[in-house]
Amino acid sequence: MERLTKIYRSRRKEVRAVDNISFDISKNEIVGILGPNGAGKTTTIKSILGLLIPDEGEIFISGRKVGTFDRWIYRNIAAVLEGNRNVYWRLTVRENLEFFAGLQGYKPSELKEKIDFLLQRFGLESRQNDQVRTLSRGMQQKVAVAVAFIRNTPILFLDEPTLGLDVESSLELRKTLRELASENLKTVLISSHDMKVVEEICERVIILKNGRIIANDRIPNLKSLFRTIAYKIVYEGMLQEELKTRLKDNFLNVTFGKMNFVVELKRTEDIYDLMDLLRSYKIQIKSLKAEEPDFERVYIELIKGGEVN
Amino acid sequence: MKQVFFSILRKEWITTIRYPMNFISSLVSIYLIFFLIFIGYKTVGGGGPNFGQNLESIIVGFFLWTFAIAAYARLSWGLTSESTTGTLEQLYMSPVGFHWISVFIVISDFLISSLLEIPILFLMMLTTGKWLHIDVITLLILFIPTIGSVYGIGFISGGIALVYKRIQSFFQVLQFLFVILIMIPAHETTIAKFLPLSFGTYLIHESMTQAVPFYRMNPADLAILYTNFLFYFFLGLWIFTRFEYYARKKGVLGHY
Repeated sequence: MERLTKIYRSRRKEVRAVDNISFDISKNEIVGILGPNGAGKTTTIKSILGLLIPDEGEIFISGRKVGTFDRWIYRNIAAVLEGNRNVYWRLTVRENLEFFAGLQGYKPSELKEKIDFLLQRFGLESRQNDQVRTLSRGMQQKVAVAVAFIRNTPILFLDEPTLGLDVESSLELRKTLRELASENLKTVLISSHDMKVVEEICERVIILKNGRIIANDRIPNLKSLFRTIAYKIVYEGMLQEELKTRLKDNFLNVTFGKMNFVVELKRTEDIYDLMDLLRSYKIQIKSLKAEEPDFERVYIELIKGGEVN
Repeated sequence: MKQVFFSILRKEWITTIRYPMNFISSLVSIYLIFFLIFIGYKTVGGGGPNFGQNLESIIVGFFLWTFAIAAYARLSWGLTSESTTGTLEQLYMSPVGFHWISVFIVISDFLISSLLEIPILFLMMLTTGKWLHIDVITLLILFIPTIGSVYGIGFISGGIALVYKRIQSFFQVLQFLFVILIMIPAHETTIAKFLPLSFGTYLIHESMTQAVPFYRMNPADLAILYTNFLFYFFLGLWIFTRFEYYARKKGVLGHY
């Protein structure tokens, strides 16, 4: 993608949804696009899919320009857009899979095995003959994702695949997605504002804010940007107020939990001072563990701050 | 291509008959509307010298009107509905191209409508006791271009709906426009020959009431009918692609 810009214009205002962004995705790479609402995630994906015409910039898929080689492109890409939409609610689960496979040019008989496989992998076997409208939101979303897989394309776009799902359904769908994407060696672009989806499935993440890319790197690299010397200490007994005050005064950030606290140090050797202080108050330490920055914190820091070069 | 067409045909058929009660009640409603028109006409003009002849015209006109509405609705209401449910974008991403998808929808719809409308035609003839001449080959030759021009209008309104969305009242107005187009005496007014639906209605009327087969018809009339069909169909398709482009430019293709 080279210098993509999309501006939505109405009589009253002009919104620059995507502002001069460029990035590449390699074959078989799984990349996530993260960003708050209105960051430009859906606009970016729809532009790649040719469902939106950008104001500026060009997009190439395997060297073919989007907007010029659309037939080739649609033979090679499939997409789930906006969660549980995209499927016919009055058709059954199996009928939907057969229809979308047919739309790609496959005979249902050619894909019988593949349909059975996807029904089983997405846990839809028992509901395969039920109309989609009668399924729960989580199951409808699974049908939408299964429909994208049935197209049997090497490139897959998933726009908010876990939007509106409860914790259990989201976990289940993430697991299936991760397994299927890696087993089938697909190039996948996932847009989401759910950090867990991106962290669990993607190798690289592109973070958008106000239509611009503020970070484009592998998740461990982004985490290392915010790596601090922090420890989580689990103790027995009570922490006196005086000790709490002294901890706050002597060290960087201290966050107290139930029978534990996380402390951030300026230098590694400050751990000795910390141990001395705890010993002086006769605190019994059950465990001490170096804290890794979690991706959610990294994301929030990036969104709050500026661009990462 | 063949597989894509059969998939669309199958899907259209399943969605038509999925709810049998809904399906039957829509057929009954169409029949009841005709029955009321027939009773009304019989009461008002029952003693007139042209009663039988006018009744034939009513049957043909009503048959074409319901057919035209069904044809037009699939593209206008149908595409709006696909846009609402998000399936329009999925159709758009078919490797055969969205234009072919639209054409396949039209052909599927024509085939399914034919299956549903024919029993209603027989019911209408049974009710009135007026048995029209049914020459299947001639009717097909005349029906395809006549209804084809309506699909052209359907494409135009479908395209408008892609961009402007809530235009249902415009759709309803168009349904009454079809009544006017059917009622215009196209054989007497030259300009009416070039309107959609009108001239085809006249030729179908000739075939069904006077038993005129297509090979006895004036070739120039058939040429006008087919030119008319091609003009409106492709004009509609072209306008639809322009609106579709505009919808993609505005970013409203799958929005509602």
